[in-house]
Amino acid sequence: MATNQWWASESFWRKTAIWVTGGSFVVLMLLTMDTLSQISTGTTRVPAYSVINHRIEYKFDEQRRVQVPVIGVKEPLFGKELSEEEAEALVKLGKLTTQAKNCMNCHTLLGNGAYYAPDLTKSWLDQYWGTSEIREVQMVEFIKDPSDKLHNSMGRRMPKLGITDEEARGVVAFLKWMSSIDTNGFPYNFKSIEQEN
Amino acid sequence: MATPGICDSANLNGGQKLAVKYFTVAITLFGAQVLFGLLAGLQYLMPDFLYGVLDFSVNRMVHINALVVWMLYGFLGSVYWLLEEESQHEVVGLKLGNLIFWVLTSAVTVVVLVYLLVQVGPGKESTIWLINEGREYIEAPRWADIGIVVSVLVVFYNVAATFSKGRYTGIAGVLVLDMLALFGIYLAGMFYTTNISIDQYWWWWVIHLWVEATWEVMVACIMAYGLMKVLGVRRKIVETWLYIEVALMFGSGILGLGHHYFWIGTPEYWFSIGGFFSALEPIPLVAMVVHAVFDAGARHAKNSNHPTMAWLIAHAFGNFFGAGVWGFMHTLPQINLYTHGTQWSASHGHLAFFGAYATIIIAMFYLAVQKWRGDVWMSGELPGNGWKWKWSLGLLNLGMVGMTVSMLVSGYVQSQIERAIEGSSWIGYFAAQAHPWFTQGMWWRELFGVMFAVGFVLLVWDLVTIGRGEKRTLVPATSET
Amino acid sequence: MIEPAGLADFFTIFFSSAMVILLGALYALLFAYARIRSMPVLMPLAYLAYAGLSISTLFLAQAANLLSHPLWATVVACMLLGYLLAPHGIWHLCVGTHAAGTEKDAVTEVIPESMTKEA
Ligand code: HEM
Ligand code: HEM
Ligand SMILES: [Fe+2]
Repeated sequence: MATNQWWASESFWRKTAIWVTGGSFVVLMLLTMDTLSQISTGTTRVPAYSVINHRIEYKFDEQRRVQVPVIGVKEPLFGKELSEEEAEALVKLGKLTTQAKNCMNCHTLLGNGAYYAPDLTKSWLDQYWGTSEIREVQMVEFIKDPSDKLHNSMGRRMPKLGITDEEARGVVAFLKWMSSIDTNGFPYNFKSIEQEN
Repeated sequence: MATPGICDSANLNGGQKLAVKYFTVAITLFGAQVLFGLLAGLQYLMPDFLYGVLDFSVNRMVHINALVVWMLYGFLGSVYWLLEEESQHEVVGLKLGNLIFWVLTSAVTVVVLVYLLVQVGPGKESTIWLINEGREYIEAPRWADIGIVVSVLVVFYNVAATFSKGRYTGIAGVLVLDMLALFGIYLAGMFYTTNISIDQYWWWWVIHLWVEATWEVMVACIMAYGLMKVLGVRRKIVETWLYIEVALMFGSGILGLGHHYFWIGTPEYWFSIGGFFSALEPIPLVAMVVHAVFDAGARHAKNSNHPTMAWLIAHAFGNFFGAGVWGFMHTLPQINLYTHGTQWSASHGHLAFFGAYATIIIAMFYLAVQKWRGDVWMSGELPGNGWKWKWSLGLLNLGMVGMTVSMLVSGYVQSQIERAIEGSSWIGYFAAQAHPWFTQGMWWRELFGVMFAVGFVLLVWDLVTIGRGEKRTLVPATSET
Repeated sequence: MIEPAGLADFFTIFFSSAMVILLGALYALLFAYARIRSMPVLMPLAYLAYAGLSISTLFLAQAANLLSHPLWATVVACMLLGYLLAPHGIWHLCVGTHAAGTEKDAVTEVIPESMTKEA
């Protein structure tokens, strides 16, 4: 009868557990440091907040074989060019508002959240807004009071969440900025709003 | 010794008295979870139902927060349950432990009331501090986060110090380190940043490293204790297997985190890391199933508590199917591109949370009731042939499988129409939501949800009545050394 | 780095990846059972399950465009090999850990000698 094989012993597996856990964690920490440096604001993957001064497009990249955001010509949000600090303040107001109003428990952002309402990752570029000229106004009005703006056959409506005009502008800035994040081709096969003029 | 068949706290040791309190709150919150799940599910079918009063976002937030909190309560309760037996020492700070229980429970109550009554706030940091943080699963406002951290630190102190004073077993070692990791990870979700990619990066640390790493090890510890208790497996075997599971779980689960870093702005190397380690993740689950069968077979499944044993088996299979099979089905980036953030994720989330965690906590509830009533008989030949526990077991599991399959059908349609064909535009989203297969999936989900709720009611009824007036007592199965 | 799956391949991907895991478990269970009960007739069935697993893996690899990229092809190779060996490893661990005690207890009595000699 086989007894006390080293590879079946308690002490061997205790040590293995410790080393495997420690090793995985160290690797995760190294990857985290690298990733954080690649996704901090102002990088190619996650552009600076002042990107909202520009047109954002989502175009097929022949080399990567997926769509990627492209930063285009100057096209300031609400017609007013903002400094880096002003842009950051506006996007911050928007991000805080999305948290304070609990957007994520109906919508997904970058694909995470709830599934009761559409994904917001590229909502800035959605054809739903009609034309790029009226989009900003449409979005602000919608966010302030969506309760009478039904746009589906199931009768699902977004509630009025008490969002002020300033907050709504912040949210739009945040959404515009988010649409410039390089998400490796998610969402796939997305058809953007017409933005040429 | 008290008369068997009555719930008498004289039957319990100090830690266990506290555990019973945690379990009571856990099952109450479980009930709240089911109720708010049904409300949210109904809103898919009748969007005007409670519109503007309790919107979907509110119901869903309560649903998933109740889930997280009842499971954490279940874990804390389980730890207190086994603490004195395992360490062979009294809980060092029982008074403090009790105080903290009440503090934590009051905090949870306030948080839920604020969710329901205040719901949202202005777009300022004060909202995040006082009302809700607006980040899925960890919505609790910052003040509550801090309260939670302080409370769990006290529990941690109680556990670590009790083991140090008493017997520091292998299970104790794993448990203490795992609790530290579990609580420590929570800190990764406690700060604000405008950069949503960084926000989501750390958010997944909390969610994934909880459910696929530290929670798995937590239940592995509970399972180890349960196997010794119910099946009488020898400690040495149980502890060796615990280490094996830790190595396999952490070895695959920690870097498996990569399967959430495909689309949030993070670099492309996460594709291969996430894909590779996710493919490994089912292995510990298979190992667990085989080992459970081996142990049960070796003992001809003789055991001292049938409901607990049945729920432990449900745990092994639920974990395997919910996490292993359902997880792997959508984990490769080539397909996750389309399933990411659809009813697919919800289908997997339900089966995995229920299969891996709800089951084993319910097993602990039964173990607790047995002892509380004075180590009464809970094997075969229960009054009424134990119909209540059998039916609730059946209804809960069938209800959950039914819900999961319904959401799978909806998710399949959604990934095709919305994601692949229409490219996730709003029009595509609503086209999928209105598709007959999708809507039927949502109807079936609600119907099976009702079945689940009936099973829940039976479960509670059974827990308060099983063993009442039972005169036969337990023949201990344990041959512990 | 990846080539997204085609619409027509969705079902194949879901189905074959579920089969990979399910057959993996079936293989492991049959393997263990054949030895616990000393029923060598089950062993071919166990390997049949593995054969099914390999076929599912290849279907998955094909549908998810894994083979066109060396890195993903390596993952496929690792899966084929890993899932072949894992049940052996798990089995040996089951036996090895249960035999590691010195005293003869309930377990060693019910496990026939035949199943431990492999270890
Ligand atoms: C008991 C263990 C597990 C639990 C409780 C669990 C739970 C969950 C939940 C709740 C989500 C949805 C998160 C959200 O709200 O966005 C999720 C997502 C995910 N899980 Fe798991 N999971 C477990 C194990 C696994 C395993 C073992 C795998 C892989 C083999 C896996 C793969 C995934 C993937 C790829 C996603 C992302 C889905 C998406 O892109 O939307 N999970 N999990
Ligand atoms: C009566 C039974 C239940 C019903 C009707 C129900 C319904 C729902 C609904 C409608 C959602 C929102 C999904 C969405 O955003 O579209 C949800 C989310 C969720 N529920 Fe349930 N639920 C039930 C029971 C449970 C149970 C027992 C568990 C776990 C033990 C659970 C875990 C979850 C999780 C983890 C999520 C978030 C999923 C994700 O984001 O991917 N639910 N549930
Ligand atoms: Fe995960």
